[in-house]
Amino acid sequence: MTTRRWVGVLMAAALGLAACGGGDDSTSSASTAAATTATTAASTTAAPTTDAPTTTAAPPTTEAATPAGSGAIRVPEDQPTIQAAVDAAAEGDLILIAPGTYHEAVNVTTNNLTIRGLDRNEVVLDGQFEMETGSRDRGASGVAVENMTAMNYSKNGFFWTGVDGYRGSYLTAYRTGDYGIYVFDSINGLLEHSYGGGSPDAGIYIGECYPCNAVVDDVTSEHNGLGYSGTNSGGNLVIVNSVFRNNRAGMVPNSGSYELCYPERDTTIIGNAVYSNNETDTPAIDVAILAMGNGILVAGGVQNRIERNRVDDHNKTGIGLVPFLEEDPNDVEPSPDSWTRPCAETKNDPVPDPDTVPDAILWDAKQNSVVANVVTGSRVADIAVASLGDVAVLGNCFADNEAASSAPLDLEALAPCDGTGTGDWTAGLIDIGQWLVDAENAPPSVPYDKAVLPPVPVLDGMPDPETAPANPAVNMPPAVDLDAIGVPELPAS
Amino acid sequence: MRRWSSVLALVLIAGCASAGPGPGSAATDMSTMDMSTMDMPVQEPSVMGVPDRGFVGPQGRSAQFVVECTFSHALPDDPIVYPNEPGQSHLHVFFGNADTDADSTVESLAGAATTCDQPLDRASYWAPALLQNRRMVEPIKSTAYYRPGPDVDPTTIEPFPAGLMMIAGDAHATESQPTSVVAWTCGTGAERDSTPPSCGVDRTLRMLVTFPDCWDGEHVDLPGHRAHMHYSSGGACPASHPVPVPQLTFSVQYPVSGDPSDLELTSGGLLTGHADFFNSWDQAALTQEVQLCLHRNVVCGITSGRKTG
Repeated sequence: MTTRRWVGVLMAAALGLAACGGGDDSTSSASTAAATTATTAASTTAAPTTDAPTTTAAPPTTEAATPAGSGAIRVPEDQPTIQAAVDAAAEGDLILIAPGTYHEAVNVTTNNLTIRGLDRNEVVLDGQFEMETGSRDRGASGVAVENMTAMNYSKNGFFWTGVDGYRGSYLTAYRTGDYGIYVFDSINGLLEHSYGGGSPDAGIYIGECYPCNAVVDDVTSEHNGLGYSGTNSGGNLVIVNSVFRNNRAGMVPNSGSYELCYPERDTTIIGNAVYSNNETDTPAIDVAILAMGNGILVAGGVQNRIERNRVDDHNKTGIGLVPFLEEDPNDVEPSPDSWTRPCAETKNDPVPDPDTVPDAILWDAKQNSVVANVVTGSRVADIAVASLGDVAVLGNCFADNEAASSAPLDLEALAPCDGTGTGDWTAGLIDIGQWLVDAENAPPSVPYDKAVLPPVPVLDGMPDPETAPANPAVNMPPAVDLDAIGVPELPAS
Repeated sequence: MRRWSSVLALVLIAGCASAGPGPGSAATDMSTMDMSTMDMPVQEPSVMGVPDRGFVGPQGRSAQFVVECTFSHALPDDPIVYPNEPGQSHLHVFFGNADTDADSTVESLAGAATTCDQPLDRASYWAPALLQNRRMVEPIKSTAYYRPGPDVDPTTIEPFPAGLMMIAGDAHATESQPTSVVAWTCGTGAERDSTPPSCGVDRTLRMLVTFPDCWDGEHVDLPGHRAHMHYSSGGACPASHPVPVPQLTFSVQYPVSGDPSDLELTSGGLLTGHADFFNSWDQAALTQEVQLCLHRNVVCGITSGRKTG
């Protein structure tokens, strides 16, 4: 045996012992606490390591003593790190984080916490491209994360998975390697007043849930592969009053059997501004490159409601209902009578027999309604529906849209939402196959850590962060008065 | 003589193992080891049993965490089978730890860079290189799925011990291996074939190798590199290997589509699929992922079908 081997063995043993030193939960902070103590102790002086300019917001006032704050766990006064505070917290606790840069990847496992930055723009979780996710809620229900920024993480800014009850408010996710704000296999939630920018997948994502019972309200998503995406999600999933701009593609809900709860269905998209999603220099997953140049693109989703959105300036379609061809799927396509089955129920289904799985599933966009949108500046068609099969039988409808062009031609006459359509379904169809060719020639993805992005935006924070009481994510989501929402204006510029 | 590093390692790690169902500090006396066996060839994989079934179907049904790593480098090295003997192995493709070579130890790997998207996963993963018309195919990426074994109680799973070495699949196979151990597929699809299928250009070829999920609680390796590990059966680990550890399925994705007839592995033919794992994760991070994802039965990540080439 070489000496080196022996040394290695000793090291292995030492690491092994170190690894078993903690209890069930105490190890959750071991790696981050060690890495963060130094930086968070002097957090107000540590500059984030990023090529993006730092924010310029004025330092917040932190001296206020309030009834809410007096019961809170404060970082760094009471606990040196966010992780330490989260680990020390009991259900229902409020954690208040002072301005500073925190090199942490926080794991949340306690229910009903409220984790709040005291200044959205100055409380910065910075992964420095060496950490995975800023805040990960792994199965803790009722957790609210609010009023802070996460940047430079190899996967996500903010992540909830496997929870019942979640809320993200006044969050900024910037330059992340997978998603900005990512919600998976979770129900009963709200994402509001938040921002996602600079991710290859979606800036804002809610997937694998039905019924999701979730609201996305007043978010901005830009310079991502996809502005919004949700695979196999829907059911009281409402996306309103938000902005999706300057992504490769704007809003792309889609179906696929590579994860559970297919198809994507029953998502309500109302009153959003979706424009200029033609970016060529963002990070981008394959689907984002395929979807480039589209505003709202339903890729194999069903029974979605798309109303009163403002959509402008797209190289392909403003609002497109298109098929998603999934080769080598994991299951057979579900029949329409199973579209209302709760996601939780399908988890107990037998694993599909690979011998019965077809070579491909053509997920067609079916029974969607596209109503009263204002769509302008689309180079292929303002509103469109396409299929690799018979587009006339898919049951989608179009009415009262302001749109200068459609594919097929006269789409609102062909497929009205009331009455029977008339006309020629074959006139003016778009060539969906060409999109595959276009994707081959499209500018490739830019690494997320190298992409040229605008500076981290300085955005409005939550009101009264010092004094607002703990507000865990219970009774989510709030009701939204959909009828009160009008078509938004485009920005003056 | 090769190391018998693990003999000492087990002495020190025993304190950890004894916290779980492991048998404690047995077999720690080096004088009882037959050193003549240290150079024994890799054992037949049958000593480890086979999984009850392979994982198929959509992800998101059960707990897992996933690490994706880009291709790091290729070398004719194997730090498990031919430690300190560079050039002795068939050509391997390496993922994860960027410093892996024939001389690698846990110590040498600990400070190295990783090609993985989980920056604290500095483990070494490797597989035989795939040749197309006798030229090496540079893989697109690897994906490591960490899951409970079939029907194993996820709350009982312990992290791999630091320095664990294991091999899955048979580099000398002359017949088809069980697809629950070594399988070929296209993209993230459900197909599981014993040899490469013809894949579409958007769903390229992948090899999946599933490692044993039960550990003997004592040895990070043993002569023959198999006997310290076993596959679970009926949702339980055997008494000889009582410690349930994550079932690691390691996949390598290649930019290969179409007719597979010009393919072969550097270990010979197309039936010799196998892969190796040398645990040099940041151990605290690995422990945390096991606790927060598997014990809590949470899907901490998936390999999206939207991303695979």
